Amino acid sequence: MNYQDRKTDKDLKAGAARCPAISTQDIIAQDKVQAPGWVRSESYEYLGSEDIDTARYIDPAFAKEEYDRLWTRTWQFACREENIPGVGDYYVYDLGSYSFIVTRVSKDEVKAYYNACLHRGTKLRASGTDGTASEFKCSFHGWSWNVDGSNKSVTCPWDFPHVNRDEYKLPEARVALLGGFVFINMDPDAPSLEDYIGPEALAHIKAWKLEDRYVALHVGRRFQCNWKLNIEAFQEAYHVIQTHPQVAPSNGDANSQYDTYGEHVNRFISTLGVVSPHLYGKVSEQDVFDQFTLGDSSALGGGGKPQLKEGETAREAMAVMFRGMFEQAFNADLSKVSDSELLDCFSYTIFPNLFLFPGISLPMVYRFRPDPKDHRASIFEVLFLRPVPKDGKRPEPAEPIMLGDNQSFTEAEGMDPGFGAIMDQDTENLFLQQEGLEASAKHGLTLGDYQEIRVRHFEKAVDKYMAMPPKRPDWKRAQP
Amino acid sequence: MLEAAELPEAQKKAIEVSGKSVLICHAPQGWFAVSNICSHANEKLECGRMKHGIIVCPVHGARFKLETGEAMSAPASKPIETFELRIVDGWVEVRV
Ligand code: FES
Ligand code: FES
Ligand SMILES: [Fe+2]
Repeated sequence: MNYQDRKTDKDLKAGAARCPAISTQDIIAQDKVQAPGWVRSESYEYLGSEDIDTARYIDPAFAKEEYDRLWTRTWQFACREENIPGVGDYYVYDLGSYSFIVTRVSKDEVKAYYNACLHRGTKLRASGTDGTASEFKCSFHGWSWNVDGSNKSVTCPWDFPHVNRDEYKLPEARVALLGGFVFINMDPDAPSLEDYIGPEALAHIKAWKLEDRYVALHVGRRFQCNWKLNIEAFQEAYHVIQTHPQVAPSNGDANSQYDTYGEHVNRFISTLGVVSPHLYGKVSEQDVFDQFTLGDSSALGGGGKPQLKEGETAREAMAVMFRGMFEQAFNADLSKVSDSELLDCFSYTIFPNLFLFPGISLPMVYRFRPDPKDHRASIFEVLFLRPVPKDGKRPEPAEPIMLGDNQSFTEAEGMDPGFGAIMDQDTENLFLQQEGLEASAKHGLTLGDYQEIRVRHFEKAVDKYMAMPPKRPDWKRAQP
Repeated sequence: MLEAAELPEAQKKAIEVSGKSVLICHAPQGWFAVSNICSHANEKLECGRMKHGIIVCPVHGARFKLETGEAMSAPASKPIETFELRIVDGWVEVRV
């Protein structure tokens, strides 16, 4: 691979310096099956070089304010549509002490009710549950609501002449459906999800057709760090060489591409099947081919990996191999899918806490949530989305596996061991970072202008919401 | 008591056995017989969702493991009764 010394001039504009190795776009341009427009574009913007104040990670008062300012105004992934396929199916989504019953009220309409009785407040469904309801009846005194949110009954209505049942509909958060995901937003005044994501990133998401995938695996675990640290550990490939040395021989880490779209979406593209610029001259194409890691290596079968042909690059051979393998494993037609989509890692953040990975070999969704009782802890979930089989029969979405606080990702049934090991490496740093920030004499994070732009972009959105006045849900405004 | 062929996979049916309301469940995980009466407030489970070997009470949403009857979520805390079930010559038999 050629390693030209370019784009490193001292007098470049701030943010314009790049790794001198071949660029992500140039790697992808050489592929046989060409990538679509959403892959072959760049959207980087320099956003400054100032330190990020660390109070946001370590101050409990900051976390408390986030619940009133940030979480009440932003679009959040609550569940997949496949979790609630039928009318009356529901799924309880919790964020901090907020809780919602997300339910399908008709074939095309989903609602999200504040999960609390309008009598004396009891949750209408326990957190962490799902099911099918013909009504939402409170377990305390039996007040009940229809699936459409209208009040069904008040026990002993003679004692409540002051309760007009028409005014006691279940309050709702706003709901939007996109790519098979159900999003909610507590703010009646927030922009639509489309406007929030913005036209460019929205076009990317629509192109992926994630509604045609199903949840094949869902694993969660709690970590001893603030939710934002947890997120930021996954927003750059800068850490790969130190944190995941086993991956670097087959990952274009330092020459990954970083982009931002509007205020709420950012991404990186990290190529696979190419050697890390850190290791140029140290590994051969055959080494690259021997060492790649898959999100789901069960597709490989037991066969092991063959030798490269004369003059063949690892990336070429992997594209051919992956196409055949995944078509068979998923019983899906991938003939039109580009090499890049088959191989590379595309990581998108949709503020505040959703990551989408539309690739085929790394087909994940991440969700991060603060621990409601501890600003130094967060809950991380990974979902693997596989294509729905060609015969169109959609498998049931996987039941979430919640790991214990000291368990390894490799212990989750169905988790690829190589991928589980990567997740463990990513998350082992987290408590050290949380504690280090608390111990430090330096009260700011220093960020790379390019490789850590997603972290800066993300924290800029945090700042935007935290500068707004608190906005708590108002049940009267939340009624239809 | 019940012809096995009458109950395709992913379906369930409540039957009366020796004065008890028993729910026969044909889950992808196998056949189970559990009490049809929720341990929380005695409502019937027969219209609840059955998925991943779990039955969900349709009234307040308590969830029970079909295999053991164990209560997995509020508002229930006590298990539901489970019964021995076998299939003999295409007939489902339950011991109550
Ligand atoms: S608290 Fe719900 S009915 Fe009383
Ligand atoms: S009666 Fe079943 S949960 Fe209450
Ligand atoms: Fe990592």
